[in-house]
Amino acid sequence: MDENKAVQYLDSLIGRTLRVHATDTRIFVGTFKCTDAARNVILASTYEYRLPSPSAVRDAATGAEDPAAGSAVDAQNIKVNMTSRFIGLVVVPGQHITKIELEETPQQIRTREALKK
Amino acid sequence: MRVVSQSVVPRDITDEFTVAASRLKTGQLVKDEYFTLFEAVGALEIMDSKMDSGYLGPGENRAQALEDDYDLTRELAPDEVLGVMDGLLCYEMAWHMGHPLSQTLFTSLYLDKLLWPVPKTLDEAHFFRGRLATNKEDPAMIHLVLRAYCLALVKCCDFVHARVATEYYFEEEDFVTQLYNRTLLSQFEPEPFYDLLNRAISWIDEQKGKIEENVREAIRTRLLIRREFLLALEQDIEVIETRSREHFLVCLSQFDHLTKSASLGKDVSDSFSLKIQRKLASTVPPRPMVKINFDDALAHLKRLCQDAVDLQEIIDYHGPYNLKVTIWTLLSRKPQPSVYIRSLVQTLIVNNMTILGAVPVKQFLYDELAELVLPSSILLQANIDEIEVPSDPRFQIAKQMDAFVKRFSQPFVDTFRSACLNRCRIRRTVCHTIADWDNLQMEAEDLDEQLRTLSNEPPLMLANGDATYSYPLSSWAYHHKLNQFRLILQLGFELSIYAPEELPGMYWYLSHICSTHLGHIDRVRTFTVATAKRNLTDMAAKKRGALERHAALQKSLRLLERLTTQIVAIDAFAISLHALYVLLARHHVLPTASSAQAYSSDRLRYEIRMKPFLQITLPELVPYDEYHREAMLEGDSDETVLERATKAISEARKAWEATLANGAFMPEFDDEANTAPAIEEDWKRDVKDTMRACIGASIAIETVKKSLKSNANSAQSKDPANASSVNLRVIIPEAGSKARWHDWWIVPQVSQATVGPKT
Repeated sequence: MDENKAVQYLDSLIGRTLRVHATDTRIFVGTFKCTDAARNVILASTYEYRLPSPSAVRDAATGAEDPAAGSAVDAQNIKVNMTSRFIGLVVVPGQHITKIELEETPQQIRTREALKK
Repeated sequence: MRVVSQSVVPRDITDEFTVAASRLKTGQLVKDEYFTLFEAVGALEIMDSKMDSGYLGPGENRAQALEDDYDLTRELAPDEVLGVMDGLLCYEMAWHMGHPLSQTLFTSLYLDKLLWPVPKTLDEAHFFRGRLATNKEDPAMIHLVLRAYCLALVKCCDFVHARVATEYYFEEEDFVTQLYNRTLLSQFEPEPFYDLLNRAISWIDEQKGKIEENVREAIRTRLLIRREFLLALEQDIEVIETRSREHFLVCLSQFDHLTKSASLGKDVSDSFSLKIQRKLASTVPPRPMVKINFDDALAHLKRLCQDAVDLQEIIDYHGPYNLKVTIWTLLSRKPQPSVYIRSLVQTLIVNNMTILGAVPVKQFLYDELAELVLPSSILLQANIDEIEVPSDPRFQIAKQMDAFVKRFSQPFVDTFRSACLNRCRIRRTVCHTIADWDNLQMEAEDLDEQLRTLSNEPPLMLANGDATYSYPLSSWAYHHKLNQFRLILQLGFELSIYAPEELPGMYWYLSHICSTHLGHIDRVRTFTVATAKRNLTDMAAKKRGALERHAALQKSLRLLERLTTQIVAIDAFAISLHALYVLLARHHVLPTASSAQAYSSDRLRYEIRMKPFLQITLPELVPYDEYHREAMLEGDSDETVLERATKAISEARKAWEATLANGAFMPEFDDEANTAPAIEEDWKRDVKDTMRACIGASIAIETVKKSLKSNANSAQSKDPANASSVNLRVIIPEAGSKARWHDWWIVPQVSQATVGPKT
């Protein structure tokens, strides 16, 4: 990928919603605003997601009979929501990023697939 | 909560992204074209402990990121419950004082449990949420008493939050309304909260003998105060109808007990945690908890209750002049009433275009005009609804006056509301509105000219034969503008804006504005007197309405007289301080804030002080050279200046005594009982403080006189070394210090220097 293509590619992501995973397992979901050579990523209107705490998982697992616990349970699998909160405009430094995901709607996927051909 | 459509699919683009980014040159950015670097500076840096509220330190266990070891279901001893209650009260008051919830109440693990996740019913808000029901009976101390207290406390905050947020306040300066995506139980009606409190109180009553009596009493007192406080806050602006101050009074009556039992509680500080900030929706970096001590919290709450009780004295309407006195006096209390009280007063002043819930804004403005410039005038009596012939001048007058009301009522009401801001903001706001009033005055002048022909106003003949007209509306606007001039200067003294070397000039300027104002009031009076004279002939002829007109005119004259006395008092005091400061400056004993090499100069300082007045057309700006001549009393000998100071201060003392004797309020009828005793007390104290400042000034003047005299004597003797410098020590007392008798009057403390003269 030459520099022009690289800029073009990153430019195409501006304004899209990214999920940026950090080294401490948190995930930041927000609108992509800016990046640089060090892969620092600026996200706007960001939500922070954190894995549920062990006690919440335990409660959900033992609370199988309790319908008010707010978690869906089937046999061994339990489902617990990640905790999230709004934190606004953030910059995630490149060295703390473990994974970047792009959120796509089915429409966007189809367009992308079509362009590939 | 972020809204996401179910069909959104994430795709891993880590590799492409990383490769693409690595192709960028150092310093090259790919960014949204509307996204500026300036904005980027405001971004919170993730994984930076100072910026990222969700960051975990090296030693912190990931499993405990959001969790504290504190067990909310554990049984608490009665003195611990007391400790938690008092801890919460401290944080509640810290919030009232302007600190964010994230650093105060929202650090409580108990409150966090009640408020998050947002409860759907009030029953759902308890400390055992998310736990399995156990067979064990819930400890009543926590489940009943502490829960009731916590829920009611949050509901109290809800009422305060709602009131402040609807009014004009300064975010992060007066108050922080941010709720971090939580609610303060605003979704629930207040009734169940009282049930909970009452149940808690009766349970506590049953525990007599089972728990230590003084702790039991202390808990009971806190529940009781909480109930009354909640009732009082729920009442809010309903106070206009209910006129009830009962609840606040009950709170006040319990304070002694609250203070005495403060030491009984046992601190449970681990029930408060900063970790909760990791769960709050917050766009700011993590911040420490705000600790205030229990005595300060109590003092704040007590003042709030007392101010709320006295606030009722504002509600009875006795004309705009009296309303202004009550509002200004109440809101000038030191320390300034809390933001809740100030917001409540704003709503009381005007709500739905009605003053104090009773007087329509138009009537309010008309009352003001009648009080000052238009007693019993056709301009205020013409009513468009009664005269329907468009050619009738009264119809025309009514039309013009309606336009006037439309344009002027908002700025006029705002002169009342601005008193509810914090002190610095009052001054800033007035610095802006004064320019508006300058424009308003010009507009009013146009209206005056049109109305004059419609109402057939008879001119007044001047001594030189020229005819002149009253210009009532613009006169009134000018009066308000001059009031604002004075307020800007006096608040300048209060807020320590002026350096000591500026004091001679600023007190001169104050007296300059006062004498302009006095001249203006004289002009208004001349026309009112002329109208009164014409009315006397009507009275003699027993014309209809002449008697009522006479009463109205006399009332207006009395108000003008009262204003004259007040402004004379201010003027004389200002003249005297001006002269005193000139002497101190002349003999180089006045402290200066700027060093000798400073870039600032008198001329530059004058320029900056006059900035708010630059665009004002009337009164005209005094050119610097003229100002300098006047302010330094150039050409006057020390004796003349001393004479001036002495004369003025004795005149000031007389005028302030007369002001005090006149009382705070304009009586509407002769036998009227005073309806605002507490506020009148404050007003009197304020005038008495001013009189103390007068006495302080006389003493200072005497000291300077003696020193100058002995200086002159030693000059005559053969000691020329002493002749050049007077031997005085001058201290400018800080605002709020004891020697500063009044915020608006900076009286220097002058004393003979203890160190002997240079020998």
